[in-house]
Amino acid sequence: MTEITTLLQIFIWGLTAGCIYVLMAVGLNMIFGVMKVVNFAHGEIMMLGAFSSFGLYYYTGLNPYFLMLFSMVIIGVFGVIIERFGFRKVLGTGKLNEIFLSLGLIYILQNAAVKLWTDDIRKINSPYSSMTLDLGVLNITYDRIIAIVFTALILISLYLFLTKTDVGRALRATSQNHEAAMLMGVNVNQMYMLSFGIGAALAAAAGTVHAILSPFNPYMGTIPGIMAFTVIIIGGLGSIPGAVIAGLMLGLVQNFTIFYFGGAWKEAVAFVLLIIVLVIRPTGIFGEEQ
Amino acid sequence: MKIINVKLSIVALILLVLITAGCTDTSEEGTHEVSTPEYINVGLVAPLSGGASDVGNDMKQAAVLAVEEINADGGVYVEKYGAKIPLKLVEGDTQTSPTEGVTAVERLITNENVVVLVGGFSSGVTLANQVPAAGKVPYIITGASSSQVTRRTEINTSYFFHYCSTTDDYSQPILQFFVDELKPIVAADRNLKLALIYRDDAYGKGVIESSVAYINDNSLPIELVAQEKYPTDETDFHTYLTKIAEAKPDAVYTVGFVKDTSSIYIQGQRDVGLNTVYMAVECNEDPTFYELLGKWGDGQLLESKFAPYATEYTELMGPYKEAYLAKWGEMPGMMGADTYDGIYLAASAIERAGTLDRTQVRDAIKQTNEPEMLILMEGGNITFDEYNEISPKIFIEQMFWDEETEELKPVIVLPDSLIEQDFVLPDNYEIGG
Repeated sequence: MTEITTLLQIFIWGLTAGCIYVLMAVGLNMIFGVMKVVNFAHGEIMMLGAFSSFGLYYYTGLNPYFLMLFSMVIIGVFGVIIERFGFRKVLGTGKLNEIFLSLGLIYILQNAAVKLWTDDIRKINSPYSSMTLDLGVLNITYDRIIAIVFTALILISLYLFLTKTDVGRALRATSQNHEAAMLMGVNVNQMYMLSFGIGAALAAAAGTVHAILSPFNPYMGTIPGIMAFTVIIIGGLGSIPGAVIAGLMLGLVQNFTIFYFGGAWKEAVAFVLLIIVLVIRPTGIFGEEQ
Repeated sequence: MKIINVKLSIVALILLVLITAGCTDTSEEGTHEVSTPEYINVGLVAPLSGGASDVGNDMKQAAVLAVEEINADGGVYVEKYGAKIPLKLVEGDTQTSPTEGVTAVERLITNENVVVLVGGFSSGVTLANQVPAAGKVPYIITGASSSQVTRRTEINTSYFFHYCSTTDDYSQPILQFFVDELKPIVAADRNLKLALIYRDDAYGKGVIESSVAYINDNSLPIELVAQEKYPTDETDFHTYLTKIAEAKPDAVYTVGFVKDTSSIYIQGQRDVGLNTVYMAVECNEDPTFYELLGKWGDGQLLESKFAPYATEYTELMGPYKEAYLAKWGEMPGMMGADTYDGIYLAASAIERAGTLDRTQVRDAIKQTNEPEMLILMEGGNITFDEYNEISPKIFIEQMFWDEETEELKPVIVLPDSLIEQDFVLPDNYEIGG
């Protein structure tokens, strides 16, 4: 009989893994929701976020959680550049062009990272790496708590931005109907850049959290990138609440699967979950009929 | 009509030229004068990009060093040409992928015309990329531990030589260490409870199968309380380790590469509270492993056959370490040391063969009986047995964190012939984790 402490501990591991999925998937959904573009290189943008935080940490030695904010800005600007000079050029020219552009970006960004930082395995040392919070029944490391709190803060900020500001409302309007938004005076091109920038910044946050919790190298983004796609399909394409629920769900399901059935099922269970959701609700949990 | 005839004549002429060219004997044996080749091409098969590129880089740096040293002396004397010929290292990047590895080896054989291949890292990748070389090109495999690379039966393995420890080689000393050194301290009156955590690939499975077989065949007093395998790209080991902690093991035997093994050591102690003895396998003998572990490696174990941080147990170690540091500005790793020896072994075999004929070079490698180099051998000499395998001397290192220098350094705790100090339990060790 498994002790409740063990189950609680796995719940925490699942929740933290889920936080990274959530940050990735919400960013991906922002881009898809507004631009209807599928960016397969989202995992590589996450990797650039990790290396950007690593670079800042290496040269300044400051707290990596503080540096994460700068990294989000840097990668956000990078996302804007990719949108402006990459995706914008092929937007509306056919889905294949968008797909191949993003597939090409995977290799370009990976190779650029290898050139800049080499293939060596890196790590970011958290000042809290040895500190744990004793809750009586279980201990949680500060880094896990910070990861969960940061994710929650970022999501709350994003929610407030999207619902309480004019720019946020314009972004949602563009997501719902491009033409109508344009007729109402919204600069749709600016909204495209903004959504890509926010998506990239969220990927940078995910990359930094990942890099603080585990060693990484330029190939770190592949699996989280694939998992982020699984999450947005489970949650519903374009739905941010769907990405949050599905991301956390996937993190928890994967970790409980490892515990009960073994690691070989970790990735398979993501697709089992995906198939189950699609059979019951083809648009995903929060997806809407087109 | 006339134009058609002219065209037909031209086509016929071209065909004739092509056919005649195809019939021309271009082999060395077919020419009267033997011209000395400018270089002897040696293929380096290594993961220069992809997940294991850190190891591949070490292999490349060591190989470059060996080639430069050999060429500084004029190269390799080949009797057939009556001259010394310099070596030329041709890189074949496997990209840590079985498919890309096959392409790389095919290119080395067909385009670069290499006389011998050296390298091969990761059993899964090497088992695939040795196929195009089967029965054609001698391949000194320096970084794939699965014994299948020289014992598989579906291809001709007579050209393959295993210049590194096999999974069988290191299962034995590791398990014997647990029984002889750890059990008396923590489980004197019962079986030692051992947990296994390993990569879900040919390498991980190979080590685990050898270990389980060794325990059963020798009726070792070891109880396997947990066996967890993880996907090769895994970075989050918390749940695996939580499950292992539930089984309350006396020790955890890990079979993985640098990134995963260091994460297991750290996440196990720091996050899960599994304060036990961790043992890693030799492919982690790399400076990055020590850097990543930091103080979380204090008191923990590593099986190895090359220990650049430990005492200089062979006279070749000092000059090699110095040359490597001077050229590359970093400490050498174990896979590089195997490859360095592999290049020298290839050079020696070519010289002994007296020709660049691949079959004769293969025969010369098979007949090797030379003093050990960086990798120590049981018996002191490099020889290949009926499976084309060497008998390397394996040792166990215990790592200690130095607060003053803030560095993790190993000492050899096994075998007796090399021992620097006795094994002690890590400070944070708790019975049953």
